[in-house]
Amino acid sequence: MSDAPVHIAIRHLTKRFGAVTAVRDVSLQIARGSFTTLLGPSGCGKTTILRTLAGFYEADAGDIFFDERRMNDVPSHHRHAAMVFQDYALFPHMTVFENVAYGLKVGGVRGDALRQRVGRVLADLGLAGLGDRMPGMISGGQQQRVALARALVMEPEILLLDEPLSNLDAKLRVTVRAELRQIQRRVGITTVYVTHDQEEALAISDRIAVMHQGEVVQYGTPWEIYYTPQRVFVADFVGTANLLRGRIHEVEAQRFTLELAGRKIRVESPGKGLRPGEEAVLNIRPEAIEIGSIPPADPGPNVLEGVIRTHTFVGQWVRYWVDVSLGPEAAPHEFVVDVPDPRERGILEGRVFLRLDPRKIHHLQGA
Amino acid sequence: MRVRQMKRLLREPLLLATIIGIFVALGLFVIYPVLRVLLYPGLRDFLSFPANDRYVTATLHTFVIVILSTASATTVGFLFAYTFTRTTVPWKGLFRSIAILPLFSPPFMIAFSYILMFGRNGLVTYTLLGARYNIIGWHGLWLSQTIAFFPIAALVMEGVLQSIAPSLEYAARNLGASGWRLFRTVVFPLARPGVAGAALLVAIYVLADFGNPVMIAGHYTVLPTEAWARISGWGDVTGAAVLSSVLLIPAFGLFLAQRYWVGRRQYTTITGKVVLLSLPPTPWYVRWPLFAFCALVSFLILSVFVGLLAGAFSRGWGFDYTPTLKHWQDVLANGRALIHSVVFAAVAATVSSLLAILSSYLVSRKAFPGRGLLDFVAILPAALPGVVFGIGYSLAFNAPPLDLYGTATIIILSMIFWNVPMGYQTGIGRLKQIAPSLGEAASNLGAGSLKTFWDVELPLLKSSLVSAFVVSFIRAVTTLSVIVFLVTNRNVVATFTILNLANDGYRGAAAALTTALLILTCIVLAVSRLLFGRNVELFRI
Repeated sequence: MSDAPVHIAIRHLTKRFGAVTAVRDVSLQIARGSFTTLLGPSGCGKTTILRTLAGFYEADAGDIFFDERRMNDVPSHHRHAAMVFQDYALFPHMTVFENVAYGLKVGGVRGDALRQRVGRVLADLGLAGLGDRMPGMISGGQQQRVALARALVMEPEILLLDEPLSNLDAKLRVTVRAELRQIQRRVGITTVYVTHDQEEALAISDRIAVMHQGEVVQYGTPWEIYYTPQRVFVADFVGTANLLRGRIHEVEAQRFTLELAGRKIRVESPGKGLRPGEEAVLNIRPEAIEIGSIPPADPGPNVLEGVIRTHTFVGQWVRYWVDVSLGPEAAPHEFVVDVPDPRERGILEGRVFLRLDPRKIHHLQGA
Repeated sequence: MRVRQMKRLLREPLLLATIIGIFVALGLFVIYPVLRVLLYPGLRDFLSFPANDRYVTATLHTFVIVILSTASATTVGFLFAYTFTRTTVPWKGLFRSIAILPLFSPPFMIAFSYILMFGRNGLVTYTLLGARYNIIGWHGLWLSQTIAFFPIAALVMEGVLQSIAPSLEYAARNLGASGWRLFRTVVFPLARPGVAGAALLVAIYVLADFGNPVMIAGHYTVLPTEAWARISGWGDVTGAAVLSSVLLIPAFGLFLAQRYWVGRRQYTTITGKVVLLSLPPTPWYVRWPLFAFCALVSFLILSVFVGLLAGAFSRGWGFDYTPTLKHWQDVLANGRALIHSVVFAAVAATVSSLLAILSSYLVSRKAFPGRGLLDFVAILPAALPGVVFGIGYSLAFNAPPLDLYGTATIIILSMIFWNVPMGYQTGIGRLKQIAPSLGEAASNLGAGSLKTFWDVELPLLKSSLVSAFVVSFIRAVTTLSVIVFLVTNRNVVATFTILNLANDGYRGAAAALTTALLILTCIVLAVSRLLFGRNVELFRI
């Protein structure tokens, strides 16, 4: 995927609304045929970028390129970047067929060619037979497909999706998400997807651009984003983070240690660029922490003692909030621990021991 | 910013041409006539204003009657609106239907009919009661304007009161408030911005009113009638222009206050959620006084129509009430004026509503230099008293290159541009309810701005377009103040003929012609209802 040529290039894009800078000097290169997600909390600028790509907003600074062509001054109706809107934006006064046919008609497609192309897309998306219905007469999931059909029928090179699943209920969202991914793979269309749902982003994307306050803070594969977040914000926003703020103690070739309120946390990864004495933040995911009610037989490094404050059971795993007292003066440090498949062991209570796997601790830059 | 907007517009030449066209049209037919009025008199003419007793008197009269009529119309309107929305007064639906009737009538009709009913030879005052009472004067004007303009206040405040969720009232009751305390501490404070907005709107109408004072005020001259008297009596165009300019000051002030001060202070929000909480029963000591009050006002409204019909079919008003059809011969004799009225108004309303809706689309959905200006100018005619508009047209278009004196064109143009705000505001309101993403979706699929308007927004604006047409038509067919300065023998319209007949003492003929005009208006309303269904929203104010 990374070998594919760049299809969409965003260079130093800035967009302001009055005094608010919605997007600040963002540069992104999106590969042809890839599925790229702009992920971030509301107000982070992700939708602004998408709408700038569609041509609904104009850049205050910076450039947008589709292939080699600069798009800044191309009006939205000449961009050929089909968009699926969050509220679907189906024309309420047209039937499903007319909605899907609209763009082709504007483009001068008529008669049999029109009927065939619309019919094929409707069939592909499981909408055959709904052509005569009005948008108000079909379900939310079907409306969502019509919106997608209306975009896909244009056979665009670029597909822009603005939180298209946010109006569906949870179960349907997962199904449609998988379908969307399949269609995208099949058609090979370059797709830019906007969502605030980190799980959705991980599940569907080739690349994720995590955004925060108008800037892209990390751009990488879902794997990279989850396991090697570069910033505290990314670690915290995508998945659940256990942050350890301390001071670097020792640095060796393949390992280093962090001093945390007098305790040493060992990390088995190259501490490249780290110097003893400097402040650092580490992260460990909840599922990378082992938990037990008796001390581990082989104590090893990174064993901490704590008390379970509360827990929540969600079926496939149980999540514990554990208070670990790190020293007499320090406030207890809270760890979040996930234990998959809790059926055998039951729910733990009271005093517990945590072991932080030194190979699964990750150092965050730019805390 | 501007530069980029222009660059973008240049890529859509048709859109650019449309915008420029609208600017030119509004500049030529709204701004230019007003400037002509303001600039026609010299500085000396303005400076000598305080020395002219007639001018000063008219100004004082205007001031007094605006305060009186605004206060009474707003009060009556509030009581009606409160009755409609928050009480269980019997027959309130019927009262509501009666209350909106004055909105469909020519502005002078109420005054004219009250002369027939309560004048020196009035059916009620003289024939039934034998009193030597004459309604002509300031008190007649006060009554006519109250009845003519309270429906506007009632409709505005009805909207405000409706949007106060009954759950608030229940919450207050739950906390122990009831009766007068509930009204004083919850309902009225929430409605207060609406009341202020309604009062300002009524004041604008009262200030601009020409039809009622010209009929019933007698020697109690106000600025619009004095301006008319300058021209019709002395041919004194300068004097009329001076009076109109002075009239423009309070008119503009009220307009700005209504639009930019009160308009932004609404506490209520419209959520589109239908609240189906039923109203608690109104106590009898509130219910029956309100019932009696609404009944009295309804009687006063209905008496307008009784007077009119009686006048149209009686041989000699005040002494011989034998039924006759002879006045209808006069109607036929004035058939040309009637046809002019309907044709001019139909043409004007069509153009006006399309222009207004297109403008509202451009302002709501497109970015272009001068967007704020277009918004302002499209609303501006609402601030201009008809007299100012009429005098402005007569001054602006009486010489080449645009010599339209005495033509149908000048009347139609004045009707078009005077009514643009009606359709424009309806369109803006409706566009707020239409998600902008619909237009964006069409653009995303390759449709340019005007195609998007035509394919997507216009069909969704259909009901607004029809409302705009109907309201513009009614206002055009019933206007007197605008056209009174523009008509000649060639382009005469019915309202002008009615004014002349009434002034010359042909009351039966005037009544018959008014009735005919009213019937034609009703036909247009009925047809639009039939064609476009019940959801044609009228008088969104």
